[in-house]
Parts: sequence; structure tokens; C-alpha cells
Amino acid sequence: MRDATTEFFAGLEERGHEPLLEKATGSLRFDLIDNGRRARWLVEIDHGDLTVSHRNAKADCVVRAEQALFDRIAAGEENAVAAVLRGAMGIEGNRQLLVLFQRLFPAPKSP
Amino acid sequence: MNGALVRILDGNTFVVSDSRGDIEASLTDPTGLFSFDTRFLSTWILTVDGERLNPLSVDDLNYFESRFFLVPGTGTVYVDSKLSVIRRRAVGDGFHEELTILNHDEEPVELTVRIDAACDFADLFEVKDALQKKGSYSTRVSGRKLLLGYERESYVRQTVISASARAKVDEHGLTFAVSIAPQGSWTTDLDVVTAAGAGGAYSRPKYQRGERRAQPNMERSLERWIADAPRLETESDSLRATYHRSLVDLAALRFSPPVVGGGKSLPAAGLPWFMTMFGRDSIFTSLQALPFTPELAATTLRALGDWQGTRSDDFRDEDPGRILHEMRYGELSAFEERPHSPYYGCADATMLYLVLLDEYDRWTGDRRLVRELRNEARAAVRWIDEYADLMGNGYVSYRRRNEETGLENQCWKDSWDSISYRDGRLPGFPRATCELQGYAYDAKVRAARLAREVWGDPEWADELERQAADLKRRFNRDFWVEDGGYFALALDEEGKQVDSLTSNNGHLLWSGIVAKSKAKSVVRNLMGPRLFSGWGIRTLAEGEGRYNPIGYHVGTVWPFDSSFIAWGLRRYGFKEEAALVAGGILDAAQFFDGRLPEAFGGYERGVTKYPVQYPTACSPQAWSTGAPLLLLRTMLGLEPVDDRLLVDPMLPDNIGLVALLDIPGRWGRTDAFARGRGELLPRRGRALSPARS
Repeated sequence: MRDATTEFFAGLEERGHEPLLEKATGSLRFDLIDNGRRARWLVEIDHGDLTVSHRNAKADCVVRAEQALFDRIAAGEENAVAAVLRGAMGIEGNRQLLVLFQRLFPAPKSP
Repeated sequence: MNGALVRILDGNTFVVSDSRGDIEASLTDPTGLFSFDTRFLSTWILTVDGERLNPLSVDDLNYFESRFFLVPGTGTVYVDSKLSVIRRRAVGDGFHEELTILNHDEEPVELTVRIDAACDFADLFEVKDALQKKGSYSTRVSGRKLLLGYERESYVRQTVISASARAKVDEHGLTFAVSIAPQGSWTTDLDVVTAAGAGGAYSRPKYQRGERRAQPNMERSLERWIADAPRLETESDSLRATYHRSLVDLAALRFSPPVVGGGKSLPAAGLPWFMTMFGRDSIFTSLQALPFTPELAATTLRALGDWQGTRSDDFRDEDPGRILHEMRYGELSAFEERPHSPYYGCADATMLYLVLLDEYDRWTGDRRLVRELRNEARAAVRWIDEYADLMGNGYVSYRRRNEETGLENQCWKDSWDSISYRDGRLPGFPRATCELQGYAYDAKVRAARLAREVWGDPEWADELERQAADLKRRFNRDFWVEDGGYFALALDEEGKQVDSLTSNNGHLLWSGIVAKSKAKSVVRNLMGPRLFSGWGIRTLAEGEGRYNPIGYHVGTVWPFDSSFIAWGLRRYGFKEEAALVAGGILDAAQFFDGRLPEAFGGYERGVTKYPVQYPTACSPQAWSTGAPLLLLRTMLGLEPVDDRLLVDPMLPDNIGLVALLDIPGRWGRTDAFARGRGELLPRRGRALSPARS
């Protein structure tokens, strides 16, 4: 079974277009750390059209977090904005891209 | 505490100190250096030879800087000091303080100058609610710097204190051994820098060591701000002063949310506790300021659009399409002990967002932005139809889903007892307050215009207009209080009328939901002795069960409220009544040096002769600051029609001549002139007749 992060990015890739990002153009790179190993996800956005890859490329916004935390965000168990305020998720570069992008994370699961 | 509090600010960083410039905060005391909703300095005490100083005077040089003149001595005896101490402090991310000591003696002096410093890193909510901290503190001396820190898991905040002069730094502050020649002086620059995040980026104080000017130059930016706004010429000194005060305060209230960037700013709600992005407050203030500083509206629309809700999240009361209520950056939001990341519990901002979008287009013709925000507008309309009708009766209503820390009343009158029946009882939830229906109506009418003229979707426009017309018809039937000739404050959870008489009727005029045949009766109530105090419109009418002239939303007069009511009176052609309200509020402004408070007492004008300020910690407040601007608009009868600006003035009786020059808009720049009537208007009991329009 795939982890929530992989599910989330695979879902984006499948959709290929996201109306919520139609105002956005730019790239976000997610550097996720798991016991010293780094998984990389690059999301390129062109007026809502999405490309997802593991490419190692410069990005307009770089997001760093523990894999476990990001899994919980991708599963709707944790809130991304609160994680940023807490310093658990780091951002460098264009913060507005992350503001727009975080709207794609799933709603919290009902208890 | 020694004397009045002195506040300086830049964006959401501000310093509150006593009149000596000292900060001696406790968990519940609201002094300190605050940034991003966190206190970064709670102790900052200056002593000379172990003695505290006495204030001679404080100069508020600007909203971002002040100067304290101090002398040693106990303050209980006549002060004949050979020393003067000057602290010149400017805020900008952290703060910068230039400390100067003058020796007036003919002998040299040796002094021990000491700054005590400490920090509790309290969240603003903790300061307001007195909560205890969960993380750990650290204090470290590193070279000539004092580092104060707070850490809770990954949440790290730090304050770095340094001085330009030689200092002995210990864990509780800085000590200077100072020698000053006869008639000489000594000076040092003190920098207090705030930092967030693990190993995080330090903010750079806008005032760098040794520099006289802020970077970027805040003084010049204020000058430009005022020069860009229309120029007001009038014989009324008080109106001129109030206008200038409003522009300066609006500049102080500009807030650049960390995500917008590019130096763009929107109006924050108020000082000092509400220097953050608020849906309702930012929108109302942007509406008031549109004819003067339209860029505030553009930033508000963009920023609130970026944060528009997309999920159903009970903790944050978020729904898809909903516009946020309040964003906070402090520890309690970070650890989800408060829902403000951001919080969406607000029933009106989503509709007001659509109203602002259309009004912005009518003034500026900035079609690019309106096209860009088409998806946001659609999502907002969908929210009204699919998420806001909690009772399934076709009306917008509210009930919080976050029962612990969410907001009970999600309309602008948000205090616990603001919504009551005539007999004072409080209704259950959900509550469908009347002004929400007005906003919903106006939002749809305006969205329809944009759909037809900008978004090229005439079918959607037809549909929206049909819905709006239907809402208006039902509203005029279901909310009308037959025996009073006005609209009920709300429908309760059973759909029955919450029947008290309130200022909300004026917002209904502004929205245009009032049937023409009912307007005269509504205006008679608004301008009658139960609601009109002579200064403005009371929030709740005299004689209602919960009426209290100094009750927050149950009898006080809110300048912002009255300014929108004046706009509503104009909309229905009641020019003289609008001028009467404008005149009352502008007269009241004189008593506050042009800075209208959030609210003042609902006492009859003839009884108190002056407006009694409601005790509140929040001043200036954004929508009170915007009120004189909107009143100028209503007095001049400014209305954009296609590419022209219509001017149809009606001035209050004591204002002679008004010229507003260089009003920006889709016409470029244009001027508006008005001449007073030189006739006295009776205060009461005048026949009501809509003027020709």
C-alpha cells in the first residue's frame, strides 16, 4: 500500500489541472526527510496545469518537513498552516505559492 | 505603571511602553514589543546610577517613532537635574532606540547606565486571557549580544539585544560605565531584533544602527501616501483635521500580510490587538476608503481570495468558498489551541467580498483583477447557496461548529448579548440576522453585473438576479415587523422574528434589499428619537429590553455603522437625513481630535453635549478611521457611473464649502465641489421625503 504522501501527489498528477491554482504559475519542491533519507517531490504549476516529478530542480518555493509529518498532512490528520506557524514545516522562497497550494490538502477526517 | 501608555507601530510589530519608555509587563499587562502576535520583550527598564527616571515629556513624532525626555529624581520633589536623558525609539520589525544623556553641569560625571531586559514570549491571546506557557526559556550572552529565547518543540522565538557603545552584557541586561565631560553628551544605539523559527532568519530592523532614516523610508512613504490621496479643501478646520487624521491612521493600520509580498498592504482591524488580517474589517475599511486609496481594496481582495476556504473543517469553521474571519501567527494558533490558522467563523465576509469586488470595479475599472478573481467569486456565491443556509429556509444564518474556541455571534455585532428580542431574551442558534440577508441580496445583484459585463456569462447573471429578486420578496415579507414598521433583527432557530429595533435597518438600506414602499417607514425609525442620538445611530433602540447607552452592541453609537447607514440613506434618496448623520458623526470626531473611537455612548446629544467614549483598548480602529472618508463620499454624493463620477452633494448644516480634488478612479482624476445650504436643519420631527434623484 502506498503512503499518504505518494497517494496525494499521484492524485495531483492524475488530475493534471487544478482550478484552485489557476492564478498560480511557478514551482514548489517538497524535501521530505525520513531517517536521514530525503524524498523529493517537484510540482510545477502553469496556470493550474500540474506536473509532478522527483526531479532535482531549483524551485520558487522550497518546503522542508519530516516525512511522517507530511504523511499526516496529506492524509488530512494535520493542518499545514499550523505546521508552518509551529516551525515544523519550513518554507523558503515564494510563500504565496504555498498559501495557494495548501488549499489542496484534504479536509480533516471527522473523529 | 507610570502615566499613559505610548504606542508605536509598523505593520504588525508594535511597542507599548509607559511614558518613561519603560516596559514592565506581566502576563496580563499589555506592554511590550510585539510582533506577529507574540511578545518579544516584556522587560525593558532604564536606570541611571540605580535610579528610575522621570518623564518630562513624550513626543509622538510619527506613528512609528516617539521620543521620551527624562530626568533623574524621585518625581515627588522639584526636579533640578544636571542631567537629561533622551530616548528616541523607532519600530520596524524589531525596534531601534537611540539613548542620549546630556550633562548640563560644569563638572564631568561618571554614571552607571543600565538596561534591564527580559521576555515572556507570550501569545497575544495569552496576554488577553492570562494563560500559562508550555515551553522552555533560555537566556544567553554571546559576545556583546544578549539572546533571549523560547522553545516549544519546533516552535522557536528569539530576541537579540545589542548596543553600539561598550557594554557589559549579563543575562539580565546591559550595563554601561559612562563618563561625560562638562556640557558634554553620551549616546548609544540599542537594537532589539526579533527572530522566528529554528535558526530562523532574523528580521532586520528598518532603522539600522546609526541611521537616521528608516529603511525603507517610512516617513517618506507616509508623505507619499498622503500626497496620493485626494486633497480636501474646506472652511471647516475640524473636517480638515479629521480627514488628515484618518489618512495618517489608515497609513498606520496598513498591514502587509507575510504572504502578499511586494510591499502591498491591506487595512488591519485596529490597534494594538488587531493588527492582523480580518475578513470583515478589512473589507468594510476598503469599501470606505475606495474613493481615496483604492489600492487597499485590491490587496484585500487578493489576500482574502488566496486564503478562501476549500475544505470543511469544524475546528476552523471553514467551508469551501468561505472568506476568512481572522488570521493569527502566535503560539496558540501554531499548536491549534486556538483556531486562527486562519479561522473562518464569520457569516458576512464572504458576501461582503463580492460587494467589494463589484464596488472596486465600479470605481477603478481594474478589469484584470476582477477577471482574475472569477473563480473566487463563483466559490463565494456557491458558499451562500450551499453552506450558509443552515436552516434550509432560504436565509443565511450562523451557528459555530467549533463549540469550544469558535465565535458564537458571527455577524459584526459579535458580543454575547447583541442579538435579543424586544423583551431582552436571547434567541437560540442558528441565527439569521437581517443584515446578512441584505448583504446576500447585494452580493448577488453585484455578482450578476460582473457576470454580465466582465465574465461574459449572461445566463449566470440572469439566474443570480432571479435569486436576488426572490430573496428580496421573501425578506420583505418574513422580516417585516408590522407593528413597528421596521425589519426584525433576525429570525431565530424556529424562523420566528427577533423583533427588536436596531441600526441593522440602515445596513438593509445600504444593501438595497428594502422594498421602496417600506423605505420611508424604515428611515422614520432610524432618524426617530429611539435610534438617532443626535450624534449617530444607536446600535439598539432606546426602550428595548437590553438597551444600555454604554452597552457594547446594545445602545452605543458606532461611527462605522453610522457611515454605512448614511450611505444607505443616500441610496434611497434621503439626502438630508444622510447629511444629518454625517454631520453628527463628524461633530463627534472633533471631541476626539479627529480620531473617532470604535464606539461612543448612546446618550442623547442634547443631554451630554459631548460624545462619551466607550472604554476600549483598541484605537485607532480601522473602520472608525474609514468612517469620515465614507461620510465625505455620502455628503458629496459621489457615485461612479460608467466612466464618469457623479457628484450630487448635500452638506450638513455647519459645513460651508467642500472641495475634494484629484479623486482617483476609472476617469483618471477628477474633482468634486459642494456648497453648504446656509440653512438650519431641524434636528427632529422633520417631514420625511425622499429627495429627487
